[in-house]
Amino acid sequence: MTILRAVLALGGVCLLQMLLGLHLPAVARRCDLYSIFTVYIALTRPQRPALLLSSGAGLAQDALAEAVLGLNGFKKTLLAYLVGTLGSLFMLNQTIPRFGILFATALFDPLADLALSLAMGRHFVFPGIWDVLQSGLGNGLVGLLAFWIAARIPS
Amino acid sequence: MPRVLSQGKPYLLLFLLLSMNLILMASSVRGVQGNSLLEGAVMSIAAPFLKSASSLSSGAGGLWTRYADLRAVEQENRRLRAQIGSLTLEARAAEETRQEARRLRDLLALRDEAGQEALVAARVIARGASGAARTLLIGTGSRDGVDVNQPVVSPRGVVGRVIEVAPGVSKVQSILDPNSGVAAILQRTRVQGVLVGEGEETCRLEFVGEGASVEVGDVVVTSGLDEIYPKGRILGLVVTVGEAQGLTRYVQVRPEVDLRRLEEVLVLRAPRPEAPGGGS
Repeated sequence: MTILRAVLALGGVCLLQMLLGLHLPAVARRCDLYSIFTVYIALTRPQRPALLLSSGAGLAQDALAEAVLGLNGFKKTLLAYLVGTLGSLFMLNQTIPRFGILFATALFDPLADLALSLAMGRHFVFPGIWDVLQSGLGNGLVGLLAFWIAARIPS
Repeated sequence: MPRVLSQGKPYLLLFLLLSMNLILMASSVRGVQGNSLLEGAVMSIAAPFLKSASSLSSGAGGLWTRYADLRAVEQENRRLRAQIGSLTLEARAAEETRQEARRLRDLLALRDEAGQEALVAARVIARGASGAARTLLIGTGSRDGVDVNQPVVSPRGVVGRVIEVAPGVSKVQSILDPNSGVAAILQRTRVQGVLVGEGEETCRLEFVGEGASVEVGDVVVTSGLDEIYPKGRILGLVVTVGEAQGLTRYVQVRPEVDLRRLEEVLVLRAPRPEAPGGGS
């Protein structure tokens, strides 16, 4: 995957997430395509490009979602590093481990939000466990689908 | 950046990216108290330096202020010293005026006592001491009705008599002059004598009999027998009573009037007043 293809893929992620938010908000709340993109990049690309692209994805998410600029950039960068490190230590190219990683991102996201909010002195309401489970499930399923599609795109 | 992307561990890149995102967050996030986190972080880092700079600045400012204050204090001190000097002079002048007023008030009382027609006030303008003579020069003369042999007194007692007169000044022979003689009497025992000056600070009472009752502290007043001094004016106090020498004894008298410090006097013109309680 070249940088250009990665950037195009990131553009597609942004577009899809926006469309989901507009037309299927319930699905968009339980499926974070930016996190899926980050996990995919971290597992399939060298760490440095993965970190850069993940940080770009997070910043794009911040910009498009009108969140605090840098919040998702930080989270996605850290997520890419952690996943990349795990990928270099364990075999994560199988379905179940990938699902596990994708599921775990749903837990990592609010935990990182909580830590950053505390660090910045902002208020944060931790989501309920049911919401986290739903998000984990959504990320896992959609992520596996994304991996399957990406594997079939000719390089 | 290519080296960062291609070589070694990605820690530096990770650190850079996380820092960049943190800075972005901090710059856009306002804390609970409404302050920017970036501003807060910058302020936290800069605070020690700002405090040090502020301390140095305030210290330097304080030094300058103290220096300026010292200069101001020095000038004020100089001004106050000058003011103190001026006020001291004024106070001395006021004290002088007060004492003069007191003396003149005493003179006025004496004048009231003697009758205005009989007294002429005069200021002592010079003191003379040729040989043993003890004289005063006063600022009134024949133009004011002063004449020879008129007695000169002060509120405390007899000063002497006029011996020379000019239109504006008169010479007074004090009772300290050895050539003076005042008919005197001891107020307590009515012993009579003649008071003669000894030239310095004392007089002697002559012709006091050896059996006369005289004690130190006795008051000596004029007897009026010389027809110059009015009767009953205080001359002085007995300070020494000597042993009998033949028919008389030595009695030393210190004049009540301090002639060295005398400044104003009264000249008694005829008719001579009679002082109350002057004795028989």
